[in-house]
Amino acid sequence: MIEVQHLTKRYGRFTAVDDVSFKVEKGEILGFLGPNGAGKTSTMRVITGYMPPSEGKAVVAGFDVFTHPIEAKRRTGYLPETPPLYPDMTVREYLTFAARIKAGELSTNDRKTRVEEVMKKTHVDDMANRQCGKLSKGYRQRVGLAQALIHDPEVLVLDEPTAGLDPKQITETRDLIRNLAGNHTIVLSTHILPEVAQTCRKVVIINKGKVVAIDTPENLTHELKGASALYVQVGSTQDATSMLSEIAGVRAVTIADRHDEFTGYEIESEPNRDIRQDVARTVVNGGLGLLELRPMRMSLEEIFLQLTTEDQPAAPAKEAANVQ
Amino acid sequence: MSSSLRNISAIAGKELRSFYSSPIAWVMLGLFAAIFGWFFSSALAYFASAAMRSQFGGGPQRMNVNLEMIRPLFSNTTVLILFLLPMVTMRTYSEEKRSGTIELLLTSPLKDIEIILGKYLGAMGMYLGMLGVTAAYLSVLFLAGNPAVKPILSGYLGLLLFGGGFIAMGLFISSLTSNQMVAGAASFVVFLLLWVVSWLGESMGPTMSSILSYLSITEHFDDFGKGIIDTKHIVFYLSFIVFGLFLATKSVDSDRWRG
Repeated sequence: MIEVQHLTKRYGRFTAVDDVSFKVEKGEILGFLGPNGAGKTSTMRVITGYMPPSEGKAVVAGFDVFTHPIEAKRRTGYLPETPPLYPDMTVREYLTFAARIKAGELSTNDRKTRVEEVMKKTHVDDMANRQCGKLSKGYRQRVGLAQALIHDPEVLVLDEPTAGLDPKQITETRDLIRNLAGNHTIVLSTHILPEVAQTCRKVVIINKGKVVAIDTPENLTHELKGASALYVQVGSTQDATSMLSEIAGVRAVTIADRHDEFTGYEIESEPNRDIRQDVARTVVNGGLGLLELRPMRMSLEEIFLQLTTEDQPAAPAKEAANVQ
Repeated sequence: MSSSLRNISAIAGKELRSFYSSPIAWVMLGLFAAIFGWFFSSALAYFASAAMRSQFGGGPQRMNVNLEMIRPLFSNTTVLILFLLPMVTMRTYSEEKRSGTIELLLTSPLKDIEIILGKYLGAMGMYLGMLGVTAAYLSVLFLAGNPAVKPILSGYLGLLLFGGGFIAMGLFISSLTSNQMVAGAASFVVFLLLWVVSWLGESMGPTMSSILSYLSITEHFDDFGKGIIDTKHIVFYLSFIVFGLFLATKSVDSDRWRG
């Protein structure tokens, strides 16, 4: 549905996006992750036809954005970082205008119905007659989203859709986006990591204009660099390092934390080998008293930091992640 | 084609609505009405006293309200336009750039030329409002006398073309910057230069003089005020308008490339 091929965008001598390629299938949500200034917005602006690429191309719904901009734009809804609202227009006037320029083929009645529908969908109908300039940040964002949806596009490009919202609004917006997937193909950018884990099926991590990883959030959090690790807590203070080291598939055992009543171990195993049962059996048979056993994942934050910070050796996380 | 017209009228309608719902529009129209009223009253007072003198003092010829009053009034109007039109055009594009709403327009299925033409027609609509104010004053003359209609109509055609050229150029200048003030000031300076460009001509030899006077936007206006509609002037203004709109469209395009 969206295909970005070897996309490069330069501003003068500065390269904002450097040979980025990825693909989004129909109905998928792709998370676009990166620190500020990584080139997320530039990439999105090329996909939406706001500006042409310096090299490479973007194809949306089968149309090259550069050579067939009108066809591509007709199928794309875009929510820029700052919602593009006219402060002196009411929400209804604004959406009517957006419908006029994006879905000109609608009759006056259909346009009215569409505007009302979209306002309901994005929960801005209670502010329909309020001027856009007087809306709160949360409403602005949702009116911006309504604008992106007004012509029922196949592809939605959302640049930081939850930026500046309060926690309740963030949850609502995420639910809304999740509900939109399926009918729409969505690319959303964010620098908030849990958001990606919660809403996206696929993640592209970008740094300094380059793609550093493309995968599902699960795969990224699970075993980033091959090695996976377990955390085991036993109700005994005696050193069980050697006992645990003898389990087949174990590479290294270290004591993670030691308390009066219990001890925690970190067990690093060979890649792609599930040793949880063996570890559990060993601990129980050894009479150590199994208190806790969980896989240690790198949180997305750690992966992100690792991928976006240069020359950092890949090391499993110290703390187990709670990725919802 | 019909989709182009639809898009253009959507943009023009938005421009007009946002212009007439802003206080700037009404302050400007009010100022315009006041100053034009001042011109009108003083022209009328002058004409009345001159007419009186010619009637009683045995002046050489009959006074003509079209020539003695309306024609200079049209010339004065062009001066007012020079000052006021930058205020109309400065925000047309700059404001969209500053507030980021240009992202909505440029990512909608619109051609650059549709955006520019829509904005142009919207600004022309505001300008028509200003001309409407002058028409209200002039209609007073029809109550008291019987001025010839044709020179008035040709004068308005001239004003429309004259202002149309300024608006096209102002729109182009507005598309270059996201700062309204810069756009306004630059437009004013450019308008003024086009105004006075022929002044140096005399001292630069006959060839240069005729070139510069051809370029002067005011030289082409005089005939319209006299009631003469000459195609060469119409062609001049139309090509001026087309050139301005062409530059504006190119400027939008080059903006895309620069991001």
